[in-house]
Amino acid sequence: MAEIHLSDAEKTFIIHGVQDNLREDGRGCEDYRHLEIETGLVSNTSGSAKIRLANTEILVGVKAELGEPYPEKPDKGRLEFFVDCSANATPEFEGRGGEELATELSSMLARAYQCPSCLDLRKLSVVEGKQCWIIYVDVLVLEYGGNLFDAASIAVKAALFNTSIPTLTVSHDEGHVEIDLSDDPYDVQRIEVTAAPCIVTLSKLGHSHVVDASSKEEACCLARLMLGVTEKGTVTAMKKEGSGSLDTSSVEDMLQTGRRVGQALNKSLMEVLMSDDKVGKKQHLTGFLR
Amino acid sequence: MPADSRRINGPEKSISPYAFSKPCKDIKITEPSLQRKDGRNPDNIRPIFLKTGLITQAQGSAYIEQDGTKVICSVYGPRAVIRKEEFSMQGQLTCDFKFTTFSCHNRRQYQQDAEEKDFSVQLLEALEPAVLLHKFPKAQVNIMVTVLQNDGSVLAASVTCASVALADAGIEMYDLVIGSSARISGATILMDPCATEEYSDKDSAHVNNGSVTVGLMPSLNQISAVTSKGELEFEHLNKAMKHCVSMCVDLYPVCQQALAVAMETRINADPKT
Amino acid sequence: MEKKSFKARYNEEDRYYDNKGYSSVDYNYTGPFLPDVNKMAAPMICVPGQRLCPDNEKVTAGRGTYSRNGFVYSSLAGYLQTAHSEDGKNIIEVIRDGDENVVPSVDAIVTARITNVSPRFCKCSIIKVGKTDLKDSFRGMIRREDVRATEKDKVEMAKSFRPGDIVMARVISLGDSQSYLLSTAENELGVVIATSEAGVTMVPVSWCKMKCPKTRLEEHRKVAKVQARFIEYSGSGP
Repeated sequence: MAEIHLSDAEKTFIIHGVQDNLREDGRGCEDYRHLEIETGLVSNTSGSAKIRLANTEILVGVKAELGEPYPEKPDKGRLEFFVDCSANATPEFEGRGGEELATELSSMLARAYQCPSCLDLRKLSVVEGKQCWIIYVDVLVLEYGGNLFDAASIAVKAALFNTSIPTLTVSHDEGHVEIDLSDDPYDVQRIEVTAAPCIVTLSKLGHSHVVDASSKEEACCLARLMLGVTEKGTVTAMKKEGSGSLDTSSVEDMLQTGRRVGQALNKSLMEVLMSDDKVGKKQHLTGFLR
Repeated sequence: MPADSRRINGPEKSISPYAFSKPCKDIKITEPSLQRKDGRNPDNIRPIFLKTGLITQAQGSAYIEQDGTKVICSVYGPRAVIRKEEFSMQGQLTCDFKFTTFSCHNRRQYQQDAEEKDFSVQLLEALEPAVLLHKFPKAQVNIMVTVLQNDGSVLAASVTCASVALADAGIEMYDLVIGSSARISGATILMDPCATEEYSDKDSAHVNNGSVTVGLMPSLNQISAVTSKGELEFEHLNKAMKHCVSMCVDLYPVCQQALAVAMETRINADPKT
Repeated sequence: MEKKSFKARYNEEDRYYDNKGYSSVDYNYTGPFLPDVNKMAAPMICVPGQRLCPDNEKVTAGRGTYSRNGFVYSSLAGYLQTAHSEDGKNIIEVIRDGDENVVPSVDAIVTARITNVSPRFCKCSIIKVGKTDLKDSFRGMIRREDVRATEKDKVEMAKSFRPGDIVMARVISLGDSQSYLLSTAENELGVVIATSEAGVTMVPVSWCKMKCPKTRLEEHRKVAKVQARFIEYSGSGP
């Protein structure tokens, strides 16, 4: 993605349009762009998902492995996020360029998933204090076209929904603990992700704010508010980003919009995932980077 | 965690003995009138000690103490950009946040971990809106923050400390940035939580259990940083933010006074004026 | 939201601010600090974000201040100074004496030490901007074509500067990310202090030569004709 250069007149045009709830691509202030989700497309993973939001394409692979739990949380499994902004996505990521964004994204995802209510890590414990499931969530940015945080969080949620973990049976035998893996490849558990959050980024443009900003809109926005919103409308993580500041009253408005949009987003995402799940594995995969 | 090969590192894996002790019970404050462990009301904040100009080598520095939370910040620059970077007409601000290894309940590593990097970014984004970056094109200002002791609300204390240090350094700013934080537990909002009151994901799975940190520029009434943790309902989050904003406004004169005192001594020491 | 009973107290001895007592110092900075622009009082301390006065046609926001939302605010921790401009306006400034943060800007006169001379350019470190000493030096560069105003193509860098010379130069551009571009293409600019091969400070004999008082040998330099206004400006003569 080439760097966007906008003149003052173009910026004013965009900002004035947003004030009248009409954006340069015809959307309203609270509309997302067309979103494509595909799950279960990488065979070697426990679960995977690919998302395409305008020009942003993200592939998420989830791998479940057995390991030791954290000593301070012996009864819980682990959820680890890794983000790779490869130089494929945009030349800006070359060398160490993408590193900063990657850490920012992974820490935001980790924070949003941190609350016990959105993903019950206790279910991932195998033997308390000894063995647990470690869920590695690897986010790979294939193409970067803005609004990375929202797209990544949706892809993560879809991939976790798609994840199946083999069923283990634990038997205690004279002080020994034996873990048995089921032979049946279809004997698997799913992860409950209904309560998992999606990140909604609200970009402040002039006096109003928009969701899912296009790259042109991102170029004239100085401050963003990122919210991890669950289906219930609760906020699991919040963060201001960018070099600008926000008025105290506008933060409240943005929170309200974020909650409304986030709830709707979570709802439609779950509907799509559920209906997709019922149909079963589709035969024709559409492939990457179309 | 990458180990620093230039230092003698501890054993590769060691665990604080406190990890095996019984976890603290959830804070039990349901009524707003109830007192906290250190005798405060939920609305009360801890006494603050703030002093500027302690580090002679730095252009500006500040030290803040909020009871058990102790933070030092020094500011260097504006100086020439050291690394090869692109030319920019705006000045750059860099931020380096570090916990000392012994500052927290569990020992920390010498190298910056993910949380410290996250705090560095948040601190930077809290201060950037306040600084007149166009006043020093091509140059950069480095902000170093070291936490000596962590007893909760570290990020909030660091924001306040860093903005006072920037002002002490004579960096032009639109306003001071004052940080404040709150812990939300059910209907209760505890201002300026100490370490035992801070939110951690070990806490129970109830909704409305979390924390909020706000950075405010009081005289412009602009929020320059806001961050939250834990699952919160919109109404509670909003209420906690409002509490934080009013706490920032309350703290503002304290920081102004500390700076004014520092300036006064500087002028008195300088016979020129 | 109800108003909390928070009051800050400032204690002179231990400098602790607590929230238990009542206010003994009036913190209402916006009120008592509103300056009376007609009266010059003892230095009044300002801090960033402090509202100084309404921004109207009678005042101009000078150094260390900015105007926003119809008010002039301080952007520096310093003390207030007001002056009258030629068109009868009051200039409001916030000053930090001798402790300003300066960075080289275009058209500024800087003092620099030559660090490296090559046939096409020489590198230097800027140690002073105007009359303010810099805490950290900035990198500067004088290109061959910017050494003097006339006969630019006949300039020989080795006959103009030597490493260690102190020069006065004008910033012509912020340059690239590495160094500022400087020029000495004025009579008043060039080498002001230079040491001979014998290690003695030389005295200027013409615009292109300096003489060592010990060995009587002459060396080539692009010598600055230091004028009174610059001596005052920089605080250092040859």
